[in-house]
Amino acid sequence: MRGVFLFCAVFSLLALGCICVFLFINGVPFIGKVGLDNFFGMQWNLHEASYGILSMIVASLYVTALAMIIGVSLGLFTAVALYKFCPPKMVAVIRQLINLLAGIPSVIYGLFGLIIIVPLLRDYVSPNGVGYGILAASIVLSVMVLPTLVGVSLDALNAVPKNYYEGALALGATKEQSVFRIMLPAAKSGIMAAVVLSIGRAIGETMAVIMVIGGSPTIPTSLFQSTRTLTANIAMGATELTGDPKTALIATGVVLFFFTLLLNVSFSLLKGGEKRENKRAQKTGS
Amino acid sequence: MKKLFTIFSMAAALVLVLAAASGCTAKFDASKNIAVVAREDGSGTKSAFMELIGLKGKADPSGIIIQTGSAGVLAEGKSNPVSIAYESLGYVTGDVKILKVDGVEATVSNIKNGTYKISRPLSVIYKETTLNSDINQAFLDFLKSSNAQTIIESEGFVSIVDAASAYVPNAALSGKITVGGSTSLGDFLMPALKTEFKNLQPNIEIEISGGGSGTGYESAENGLFNFGMISEEFNVTKASSCVAYTVCKDGIAVIVNKSNPLETITISELKSIYDKDAGANAIKKWDVLVK
Repeated sequence: MRGVFLFCAVFSLLALGCICVFLFINGVPFIGKVGLDNFFGMQWNLHEASYGILSMIVASLYVTALAMIIGVSLGLFTAVALYKFCPPKMVAVIRQLINLLAGIPSVIYGLFGLIIIVPLLRDYVSPNGVGYGILAASIVLSVMVLPTLVGVSLDALNAVPKNYYEGALALGATKEQSVFRIMLPAAKSGIMAAVVLSIGRAIGETMAVIMVIGGSPTIPTSLFQSTRTLTANIAMGATELTGDPKTALIATGVVLFFFTLLLNVSFSLLKGGEKRENKRAQKTGS
Repeated sequence: MKKLFTIFSMAAALVLVLAAASGCTAKFDASKNIAVVAREDGSGTKSAFMELIGLKGKADPSGIIIQTGSAGVLAEGKSNPVSIAYESLGYVTGDVKILKVDGVEATVSNIKNGTYKISRPLSVIYKETTLNSDINQAFLDFLKSSNAQTIIESEGFVSIVDAASAYVPNAALSGKITVGGSTSLGDFLMPALKTEFKNLQPNIEIEISGGGSGTGYESAENGLFNFGMISEEFNVTKASSCVAYTVCKDGIAVIVNKSNPLETITISELKSIYDKDAGANAIKKWDVLVK
């Protein structure tokens, strides 16, 4: 029996190893072959063997940043509302409903974005008649990351010792002041972890983004302009391209892998920080 | 205060839902930019279209909207009043408007007699050795038969085989044939042909998969599929050990939204829209075309 358990544990490591080896064996020599200038250049034109993914890196970062601005402001206030400003009976219900959002397949988000958000932006908001682009993708993503943001931030808030809040009230602070000046700063690292986790989700999301981003490999200069993210680049060509262009997609994957790796490492660091802080708080609190 | 806020947010939600449900019935506006729609790199429809309008091997102009499937292209043409797009004629539904190209209507007879300029062959490619198997040979014979030509025409494609004879079934044959590649061929026509072939040869299974012309070349060359489907002129350098059989011809229609008043477009105008290096000739707004 022990062997079975061990095999299962090793299997996931093996999968990770295989994927890493696949990415690096194919991707890194390719980057070396075409040169950093070409690979991190502006031009993505398969007919001229230019595989520049700079525009996609920029687009990915823009989309993620804007999605975070919208999502964090929504998510953080939702968490605060659920923490202290909501009838206790409703908290569990609303939390369940928000968690339900996490269960919706991303292609459904994409479909919603494609059929509702893109035409809405195109006809009523966009100055140039294009609905696709960074804004549409960010709106869709900001809804997708809500469950993570609300859930993890709320847990972080709940983990802060109650006597902080009571102490603040006792000193004459209002409810709002206590939450925003005392509790939120105390839950800071947990909330940061929620944000990092959401960034990871946003930067790696493919299906929902591909449907609303437009797909043109150009550096975005407007919120309403067809552009392409790293993930969209991989997914758009994966089944159609062969040879060098396909390897270019794998190399794109290497870059994406580095981004997510960076995010995961910072998430772990933040998580560690939060645990230490809470321990310290509990010691001094009690 | 609290109540006011609740009422306000509910009203906002209602407006949003209503706006969404009304289907956004925006009308054509000639002062707006042309929303140029294209297919993704690797798509057979795209490479054929770009080649046919004289832009072979060029990248898309910046800011183009890329749809990764025929359905996406049609949906964009249907819902976006300022869009222009191209798609296989056999695919185009009544939801969009088909433009004349150089004054010639995109019809079956115009494609067959060659007056409609934007048309291309749809082919299956295979290794010579594939035909050593009786069932593969039978399938190829079927594609050349009058039974297949009838289906090709009823599906809206253009048959190029004249005076074909009927397919003669051989009850002794059984087995499985794998076909894959171009979705232009694989989504509609091939399944229809498969159904007919199954009637004639009940013991032969045909398995169709998609993936695009790129997959068609690759999989026929490495033997993954018995037949690869491609939707462009056969390029022997992409699959050097294969030969091609042209199943039929397909016109590529230039489509716009139904509210667009434009009726006809020239190839040089199309070139000015789809060429990233058009410079001063580039057409960006509808009022250049719609007078």
